[in-house]
Amino acid sequence: MLIPSAVAINLAMGFVTNQLGLPLYLDTIGTVLTAALAGPWAGIVTGLLSQAVRSLYEGFIWLPFGLVQVVIALCAALAARAAGFRDTARSVGWGAITGIAAGAVSALISHVVFRGVTATGVTAITTLLAGLGLSRAEAVTVASLATDIVDKVLVFVLAGTALRGLPLRVAARYPWAMRATGR
Amino acid sequence: MKLHPFTPFALVLAVAALAFILPAPSGPAALYAAVAATALARGMRGAVVAGAVVSLPLWVFLVLLHAILPGGEGAAAALAQGARLGAVATASVMLIRTFDPSRFLDAASAGGWSLGAAFLIVSTMQAAPRLRLRAGSILEAQRARGLVAGGSPVARLKALVPVTLPLALGTLAEVDERAMALEIRAFGGGGRRTPLEIPAMSARDRLLRWGAVLAVSAAAGWRLL
Repeated sequence: MLIPSAVAINLAMGFVTNQLGLPLYLDTIGTVLTAALAGPWAGIVTGLLSQAVRSLYEGFIWLPFGLVQVVIALCAALAARAAGFRDTARSVGWGAITGIAAGAVSALISHVVFRGVTATGVTAITTLLAGLGLSRAEAVTVASLATDIVDKVLVFVLAGTALRGLPLRVAARYPWAMRATGR
Repeated sequence: MKLHPFTPFALVLAVAALAFILPAPSGPAALYAAVAATALARGMRGAVVAGAVVSLPLWVFLVLLHAILPGGEGAAAALAQGARLGAVATASVMLIRTFDPSRFLDAASAGGWSLGAAFLIVSTMQAAPRLRLRAGSILEAQRARGLVAGGSPVARLKALVPVTLPLALGTLAEVDERAMALEIRAFGGGGRRTPLEIPAMSARDRLLRWGAVLAVSAAAGWRLL
């Protein structure tokens, strides 16, 4: 039951950011939470399923970004093993590392498969950078890295706060969660 | 008569494959026109509008990046990519509007899928709109308690915490209750589930599926040769 709920959190976060008018995705919180609670495989399944369901609503064309979800799940599992959710500073550090990894993969997919045009926020930055004279590849890379680093830092901070806020009765059911938060 | 629940998935995958295989820009443009015409013929005007709304911002950026700003790949590339996105988005909206979770679960059970895998897909599809509603309720409740969810970007960022934490913690706390409810109904008891109504695989389903396979194979063969 954890995976469907985490996928639903991922999708609901898109709605929350939209309602708050934030130019962010935050649609990987469920993936990070699952990887930190139940390990990398659960995180990967959550990420891929999230991408598949999102693709159903917005077009199967976004399926290649499932690879980014896999990278995020692996980074979150590594962070959990290293007690990366123990405090906010560690969450910020691991979020930045994940943002760089996810941004690099995302830039590659955006450039090769989508000719630089994907989600509205990141594409607006790409267009702005291209207008300033950067080449298409440079603009896509810089825009993807910048947005992904900010987004993943926030995702890791929010996921870390949620993990530390879990009642011990619930957290104790997930061995990874105890390790992730250093309890 | 309704299509078998797996047939629309096969058709959307075929549209996605054709969108990239057919020669640009005429191939993707013709495919988009065909998908939109099919939706209109089936009385799904809303799917055409929703598909256009989803892909409209991307069209704008495609034209800006490739047709207006220097260094782009030209208007033809923008048209081709926009048509690809539009075709796949419209086909996906058609699928989601006709998706029936219980029929899908019955078809999966009848097809010999493991109950766990079928349930994972269906429960995810059902959980997504439910949690979206809950996110909306939490946001409204926090606003009623004085949360400022507008204004500067910093204020909006601060509003994330009181919305996200109740959503995530509430959902995680619910996982146990739902798992227990399933156990009470012998979900983990093993044995094959017997669907009461097995969705029929009609001649139309077979025709559409084989047609999709043939169309993708023919397009791929034509491009390779």
